[in-house]
Amino acid sequence: MRTGTTGANPRDTTRPADGTPVFGPDSQFHAFFDDPRWALAVIRATVLEAAHPQIGAALIDNSTFVAHPWRRLRNTFLSMRRMFGADPAVREREAARLNRLHARMSGSDSRGRAYDAMDRATRAWVVATLFESAVTMCRLSGQPLDQDTMERIYAEYLAFLAALDGDAEELPATLHDFWPYFDRVVEHELENTEAARVILYRLFDHLPAPALFDGAPTLWAAGRAVAGPVLGAITVASLPEPYRRRAGLPEMPGAQTLMRGAYLAAGLARFLPEGWLNAESVIEVLSLSPASDDPRSRTVAALRGRMKRASALLRLIGPLGGVPHPAPASAADPGEGRRSAGEFFHQVLDQTGDGHLDWPDLAAMARELSTRLDLDEPEETRLYDAFAAWWRELQTALDTDGDGRVSADEYAAAAPSLAGPALIRVADVLFDVTDKDGSGTIDAEEHQALFRTAFHRDLTTTDGTYGRSAFVSDFLSFMSARRTSTPYDPLLAEA
Amino acid sequence: MTDHGVRDGRAVTADRPGRERRSDGPGGQRPGDGAARAVPRHVACVMDGNGRWAERRSLPRTAGHNAAEATVIDIIEAARSAGVGWLSLYAFSTENWNRPGAEVDHLMRLVRRVVRKHAPLLLARGIRCRFLGVADPRIPRDLARDFEDLTTLTGDNRGMTLTVAFDHGGRRDIVEAARSLIRSGTPADEVTERLFAEHLPWPDTPDVDLVIRTSGEQRISNFMLWKVAYAEWVFPELLWPDFRAPDFLACLHTYRDRDRRFGGLPHQTNGDAR
Repeated sequence: MRTGTTGANPRDTTRPADGTPVFGPDSQFHAFFDDPRWALAVIRATVLEAAHPQIGAALIDNSTFVAHPWRRLRNTFLSMRRMFGADPAVREREAARLNRLHARMSGSDSRGRAYDAMDRATRAWVVATLFESAVTMCRLSGQPLDQDTMERIYAEYLAFLAALDGDAEELPATLHDFWPYFDRVVEHELENTEAARVILYRLFDHLPAPALFDGAPTLWAAGRAVAGPVLGAITVASLPEPYRRRAGLPEMPGAQTLMRGAYLAAGLARFLPEGWLNAESVIEVLSLSPASDDPRSRTVAALRGRMKRASALLRLIGPLGGVPHPAPASAADPGEGRRSAGEFFHQVLDQTGDGHLDWPDLAAMARELSTRLDLDEPEETRLYDAFAAWWRELQTALDTDGDGRVSADEYAAAAPSLAGPALIRVADVLFDVTDKDGSGTIDAEEHQALFRTAFHRDLTTTDGTYGRSAFVSDFLSFMSARRTSTPYDPLLAEA
Repeated sequence: MTDHGVRDGRAVTADRPGRERRSDGPGGQRPGDGAARAVPRHVACVMDGNGRWAERRSLPRTAGHNAAEATVIDIIEAARSAGVGWLSLYAFSTENWNRPGAEVDHLMRLVRRVVRKHAPLLLARGIRCRFLGVADPRIPRDLARDFEDLTTLTGDNRGMTLTVAFDHGGRRDIVEAARSLIRSGTPADEVTERLFAEHLPWPDTPDVDLVIRTSGEQRISNFMLWKVAYAEWVFPELLWPDFRAPDFLACLHTYRDRDRRFGGLPHQTNGDAR
């Protein structure tokens, strides 16, 4: 059987028997990319991932999805596009990068069980949830896949795992064996992990506004108050019944209908003219900030202005004191263009959003920077090492109660002493790795790579480049003087 | 000499594209210029006499502030329809913090209510609202937020610009401008009146042409010190809650006559015995 051989031979899956490439623009995966159902399915897949105890622990410890979900989404999206793109060299490089990234994540969960982001069986589960959610999304929206297509998609996901892990041995070779495997993991291994609860009940209720909606916090909060619980209910209802039972998730009357309705409605998008929905442009537009030099940002800036006025009016005509402030401007405002210690802690330092500063937070910064700069070895390790040294310095200076991590209060008490030699070293290394051509200055292209904007107008540039001392002092003024409106803001502070 | 400085300042504000649509006619109305305009470009009101208005009626002082709301709305409308481009109202001075705590609290609540109540109206009338001062941490956060919202909401309006001086002190603004000049690293020799004015808050605001201070008090009280340098002052005896659109128009009339006489004595200040 044609499709059978496809699945049985995962190491040679880039060109299955029927001649259609597994990767690239003709793959089934690409067809799902711009499908609005996929948004719901990915949330579902993420919950199933997070319900795995190992993945759940790794997410809680390392992931920035609570504090910076939009940045995380964009990175994941770009990474998936590279992995499923047609170019094998790009795919290989991205897989190596992902492996390096995950190799840095290991630890133990709250019950002391070890986790390791390189664990092969666990990684296979991530791919399994993506595949199963893709199939389920089609079923739930009333357009079930035929057996051939399903086999084909399964082959694509096996190839994806093989590209990542070298082989796909951890997943059953055929679709026939996949379902028992999936059911077994759901019934025996998944738990009601903290990460799954965070995604289901906290993430959407507290979802920070993407850059586009930054100027309209009231509007965002109002929309979120409605959409958050609905998304939660839809996702819960779409999870496999055995897991719902084991995790003790609520069965709400009408939730099943709501969930099917949502999938069905999202599925109707297939009647839209081709090209109307493009996930990439949606994500790009959401993360556009008005400071960027993208030609669309003028329109976005105008749109933001209008939204800002709309939400100002909303607040003004709303009942007195009815709307709580998302970001209270405290009486102890540290002055124009600076953040208070608390704001800086939550917006920049605490990247994982757990209320504490520890190594995963700084690792997340290093991860974000090396992702932006698309670093290879050994530059990536140099950057991580610099951040690790900074972490040791911070820990020594700030962790007064000796619990191994720094709380917001500990930081606030010692905030002025943040600029030690290790931080300056981070700035130095960051300059070195940003300066790809080793010219000793950062030119427009290198600046674009790191900050996604052209040089800022008031930047202390000399003949169109950015020198080491200016770069280092700007980094320090962002990190230790907590200055706002620097190019680092969209990089590390934005959601 | 000083006149020259002002001329320059004017030129700057008028050059700013899109900001200053109301510069009606050429020449401006510099003192002694002779090219008088019928309506002053920038009118400022010091809203004095609310407390006395209430005391005369044996009401608590707060009642006087409440009564002031009607006048404020009346005057805004009168100024707009008379063709005044810029209206400034002195609502609360840095010195007003010394008033009894209960009165200050009441004022804060009142201002908040007034701002919220009239926001849609101000937007609909095309009035651009701004707030001058608003720096003190004692200002309730909600109120500061409302000020910000109203400024954002009406920021694109191109009708009259209404500046509400709240927690304002003329000297403080000058000191702040000096600080900002020093911070910008301007060499001492390069500091001119025009450059200095650019460091004041809302630098696009033109000089005040006419100040109306109600209740007969004749003091400057630290109000927009830089901008009132060449202003004409009128001191109607009426208390602010009694002041109405016709009285406002009478003040404009007085201004016009004064201008025509090249700064001579006014002959028709409303109810002013002096």
